[in-house]
Amino acid sequence: MGKEVVLRAEDIHKSYGRLRVLRGVTFDIRRGETKVIAGPSGAGKSTLLRCLNLLTMPDKGKVWLEDVELTNPSVDINKMRQRIGFVFQEFNLFHHLTALDNVMIGLTKVKKLPKEEALRRAKEALLTVHITEDLWHKYPAQLSGGQKQRVAIARALAMNPLIILYDEPTSALDPQLVGEVLQVMKELARKGVTGLVVTHEIGFALEVADEIMFMYDGIILEKGPPNEVVFSPKHEATKKFFEKIGRLYGERR
Amino acid sequence: MTFWEEFLPALMSGVATTLKMLAIAMPASVALGILLGTLRVYGDRISSTVATAIVVTFRGFPLMVTLLILFFGLADFKIYLTPYWAAVLGFILCSGSYQSEYVRGAIRSIDIGQSLAARAIGMTKLQEVLYIILPQAIRRALPGISNELIYMIKYSSLAFVVGVQEMFAISKSFNYRYFRPIETFMTLAIIYLIMTTVATVGFKWLENKLRIPGLEISGR
Amino acid sequence: MENNTSCLNQKLIFLKEITISVDGDSMAAEALFINYVPYIIEGALWTFGLVGGGLGLGFLIGLPIAIGQVYGGRVVKLILDVYVWFFRGVPLIVQLFLFYWGVFPAMGFKLSALVTSIMVLGFRSGAYQSQIFRGAIESVDEGQLLAARSIGMTKTQSIIHIVLPQALRIAIPGWTNEYAILLKDSAICFALGVMEILTRTRYVAVSLGLYFLPYLFAGILFIILTYGGTKIFNIIYEKVQIPGLVKGGM
Repeated sequence: MGKEVVLRAEDIHKSYGRLRVLRGVTFDIRRGETKVIAGPSGAGKSTLLRCLNLLTMPDKGKVWLEDVELTNPSVDINKMRQRIGFVFQEFNLFHHLTALDNVMIGLTKVKKLPKEEALRRAKEALLTVHITEDLWHKYPAQLSGGQKQRVAIARALAMNPLIILYDEPTSALDPQLVGEVLQVMKELARKGVTGLVVTHEIGFALEVADEIMFMYDGIILEKGPPNEVVFSPKHEATKKFFEKIGRLYGERR
Repeated sequence: MTFWEEFLPALMSGVATTLKMLAIAMPASVALGILLGTLRVYGDRISSTVATAIVVTFRGFPLMVTLLILFFGLADFKIYLTPYWAAVLGFILCSGSYQSEYVRGAIRSIDIGQSLAARAIGMTKLQEVLYIILPQAIRRALPGISNELIYMIKYSSLAFVVGVQEMFAISKSFNYRYFRPIETFMTLAIIYLIMTTVATVGFKWLENKLRIPGLEISGR
Repeated sequence: MENNTSCLNQKLIFLKEITISVDGDSMAAEALFINYVPYIIEGALWTFGLVGGGLGLGFLIGLPIAIGQVYGGRVVKLILDVYVWFFRGVPLIVQLFLFYWGVFPAMGFKLSALVTSIMVLGFRSGAYQSQIFRGAIESVDEGQLLAARSIGMTKTQSIIHIVLPQALRIAIPGWTNEYAILLKDSAICFALGVMEILTRTRYVAVSLGLYFLPYLFAGILFIILTYGGTKIFNIIYEKVQIPGLVKGGM
């Protein structure tokens, strides 16, 4: 392909007490790619994502953002996190700030941009996720779940990240609100925003993902183009998982 | 001159003294409360231990004892505070310690997702506490803080014991001279009632003004 | 402290008589302080008299007020609200002087400093406790009352047998806090000359010319008593919990 590697994870291990959640995960993502991680609960998907921006410290293994090794203790992780976007399942919008301020605060306080520049970029990001001006001065508690999550995506986008990590972004949403968030994510993927998504939404993967990685019991069991992994899986566990999901979500070819 | 013609002006000067003490002690105690509460949650070993020691001491000592130590006790070490400043310092330490408990509780009630999101956009711990955690925690602690400040209005009466000529001290000496206890102390009581009631209404208004929709719900 | 000054003088003479002559040498004074520690600790008896009496009287006043505020009619509520407003809104020291020098004599009573203090502490604690009990009663699930009425209990029976047993348990933490507050407020009664801890500490300090050490000791004594008492109430709270019932609220 020739495109540069944006994020690389090498042999990531993580245990909580005696529970081994990640047992040696290795993969990389290139610029412009959208990859999906799917798998049963407890397989370690969320933990893996949090290890990538060191919100959770891996026990063993390394993570690179372009050519900087994040897991190296001498690296200023706060500075590096400015280039990684993270979208949480529970949104985690700052309760005490309006939608606009939520998106702006990273720009003014962390990136130290001048106010006018921050305002411009924030508005741009909000419009990209289809949050219109009438919502900009609302507080998170006044927004619907779908609106909250889109603001959260705008917050990540505005920082101009090299990659956006999505941790089950639609799992906490009512079914009728899932679509609007997936729509935004698809648009970003098509625009070439590099993304790594942990999700159960296989339709999304089939539509826009370059690769699906199936995680099972702490490792990546299988990976490949979505069509292949979902419909012609090589492992029994993979087959069982996608059959069950297919029944639950009624996905069709 | 009648009793009232003498008493009321003297009482008013006492009221002025009380208000002057409160004008300093109230904001200072809030600042101290926020500082101690924050240090106890986020401070390193030394600062959090020191903060805890201060809180335990000044919550545990009756305010009377604190005032007496500051004015008479420190004199043993050749540190001479004026009555006024001994009293103000006592109020700040005592009330600040009680307030720090509310602040500490409020900080701990902020859900961890806020902290994660702050770190995820690259904020340092200091930025996270300053811009994300404290603005929310202080709002949550506001009812408790207002409660303590209203207590301060009442307990300011104890300043008489170190010789400050505030409202109560003046009433006491008037009663000693004229012996009209009901008039003296009832008038005083009414003034305190007015002050605490106005303060209660005022703080409620402040809470409303600072309210963020959705922020009262804990854990959300 | 008008009448206290003469008491103070008497005490000073008393203490000086049993004191080996100390000419302001602070080291000797500190050593001498040890002799007076029992005298100060003895004050705890009076302190507990004040706290116990205040809490007890406060309970007898506060619980009925709470019931009245939750279940009473408009006029009753108004009167009770005024009572609570007055006794919570006026500083303790003002109330002590008002009652000791003014109200009780005007009513023809000649009450001692100790009794007056207990009564005022009681009136005051009653106002605060009423709010604790009121909150506790209001937090008992409404369904409990409905169920009681539907098996034929009168309102009074439902309150006594169903609501109060639950409410009183819920109120224990708030009540424990009231104990801690009363303990510290008892020190204020030294202004009337009650021979509790702080009064005694003051006599010792003045007669020795040593201030920091005695007051520090008194402060630590109060901390110990607060901590100990709170611990005891917490143990009672644990023992009295209804198995399986997790009462949220706080």
